[in-house]
Amino acid sequence: MNLLLLVCKEILQRRWNFLLSLLGVTLAVTLFVFFVTTGQASKRETTRLMRDMGFNLRIIPIETDMSEFLMQGFAMETMPQSYVDQLASHRHISYAHLVATLQQRAYWKDMQIILTGIAPEAQQDDKIKSPMGFIVPPGRIYVGFEVARRLELQQGQTVDFWGSSFIIEKCLSETGTSDDLRIYGDLEDIQMLLDMPGKINEIRALQCLCLLPGRDTVEELREQLAEALPNAKVILLQTIAETRRNQRILVERYFALLLPLILVACAAWTGVLAMMNVRDRRVEIGLFRALGFSSFKIAFLFLFRAFLLGIVASVLGFSLGTILSLSFGPGIFKITAKSLEPMWILCWFSMLGAPAFSALSSFMPAMAAVAQDPAIVLKEGQA
Amino acid sequence: MIQCSNLRKTYRKGRVEIHALDGVNLGVTQGEFVVIRGPSGSGKSTLLFTIGGMLHPTSGTVEVTGVNLAAMRGSALARFRANHIGFVFQMFHLVPYLTVLENVLLAAKTPHRGGTMERAKSLLEHLGLIHRLKHLPYELSAGEQQRVAIARALLNQPLLLLADEPTGNLDPQNAEEVMRHMKDFHDSGGTVLIVTHEKELPIKGNRVLELSEGIIHKDMDMDMAQRRDNVTL
Repeated sequence: MNLLLLVCKEILQRRWNFLLSLLGVTLAVTLFVFFVTTGQASKRETTRLMRDMGFNLRIIPIETDMSEFLMQGFAMETMPQSYVDQLASHRHISYAHLVATLQQRAYWKDMQIILTGIAPEAQQDDKIKSPMGFIVPPGRIYVGFEVARRLELQQGQTVDFWGSSFIIEKCLSETGTSDDLRIYGDLEDIQMLLDMPGKINEIRALQCLCLLPGRDTVEELREQLAEALPNAKVILLQTIAETRRNQRILVERYFALLLPLILVACAAWTGVLAMMNVRDRRVEIGLFRALGFSSFKIAFLFLFRAFLLGIVASVLGFSLGTILSLSFGPGIFKITAKSLEPMWILCWFSMLGAPAFSALSSFMPAMAAVAQDPAIVLKEGQA
Repeated sequence: MIQCSNLRKTYRKGRVEIHALDGVNLGVTQGEFVVIRGPSGSGKSTLLFTIGGMLHPTSGTVEVTGVNLAAMRGSALARFRANHIGFVFQMFHLVPYLTVLENVLLAAKTPHRGGTMERAKSLLEHLGLIHRLKHLPYELSAGEQQRVAIARALLNQPLLLLADEPTGNLDPQNAEEVMRHMKDFHDSGGTVLIVTHEKELPIKGNRVLELSEGIIHKDMDMDMAQRRDNVTL
């Protein structure tokens, strides 16, 4: 009798066992396809975000004492304001925001403050962007929360600053940081107050990119900046993209742990069902033995069944996994739907992997079927 | 045809050894119809399965048509069984999801050869089952199922037919019919070994072995066995 027909007829006879096994392998393939598809999409998306977002930089004078800089929160040394124009005009560096500041500690009305001059954002070519922070008009100041509270300053009030009058444009809300001690003014006004014309001590460059083809690493950017501003030092700030990359790595690690557990559970499920199938067919196997079926033929009956199971499960699992990825992936991973697309290579991979997975799960039961003693089984099968 | 020498089969259950066969010596010539009798647990089924190459003896030799089955393993033994030995069991052991014809063809050495199909149908016709070819086992009576099992056992034209309590589950009428078909095989030159615990069989063989505790206690011809049975009664 044709062995393939025998396998197909047995599947129809014990259809529930087959369907439950199919469920197990399909689930394994579905989750595998889902995790890989969404994981790849997440990876692509993060890479794109990182590329688009660029690097956030603080550019400070080269002679800055870093320990003091980190303690104070700003550089004590200064550099020429013309650095901003040099950077803005560099053809290999792109940025979203470029702001020059001058910050100095000072005493005003018996209170220590941080005077902060902010220049209007430098524009690159014709790119007009909304400013990243506030712009303080000349002759006006923004007062930090603690300064306003202690000196009882009000919005609209005119204050005297070492012989110059300024109108308080805004009293800022509490931040809980040193910003509460700041008084912000127009860069030129602050330079004049501090008697430091044309000096700045920091340039903030957000979403900075190196425009040379294939070069978007921070090292390349540093190289270009060193060329543009030989007397400046560049400090890299952590970016949102970096956080997102870390989040992605975390998710990948989570899946790397979860996926094998699920696969093992599915393999155990399929294996148990295969073992139940073997138990159900003990007498049948004993009979096949008595009729002269070789061990190979008997193993073939079980492994071919597992192979068929795997093929059907691979098609179902790939379809379900892809549908799930396209439907729920963007919601789960907060990434754009556009980056989620069917990975056809996974279809072929599933068609190879699922039968192998199913056959491996059924291997032990198949060997148990081959190894059982037909005489004992047939005698036990007697009334 | 069959030569068993000092055949022993020992099962181990924990520390206890059970000697199912305890030094059986037996010779059966071609064309004999041998009935092996004995109480339950006497080792008669073990002897049958050992002669059929389905159990390996613990020691001793069992030769069928001059081939020592005790020395054979795996595929070679399976091939030998398929070519030379037919089995019939008390519980019929038909495959539930195959039709009558498919159950018979299950035993076929060369299932795709035209002659095999014809022979299967011819056997089923001879056994009165030609109208049942496409029926499933559960649709048949016990007697019909056992006749299907006989057809399956005879499909490959074996030299030896081994039957383990073949009438144990049948009513007298069906038991007689099944035995008649086995007798037909014997009449055509085949060798038959039947294991039974019944003293009276509807069709007589020509030799009776009585087994007890793994040892052949009596080896007699059928007439002597019948006379002895009558005296016992």
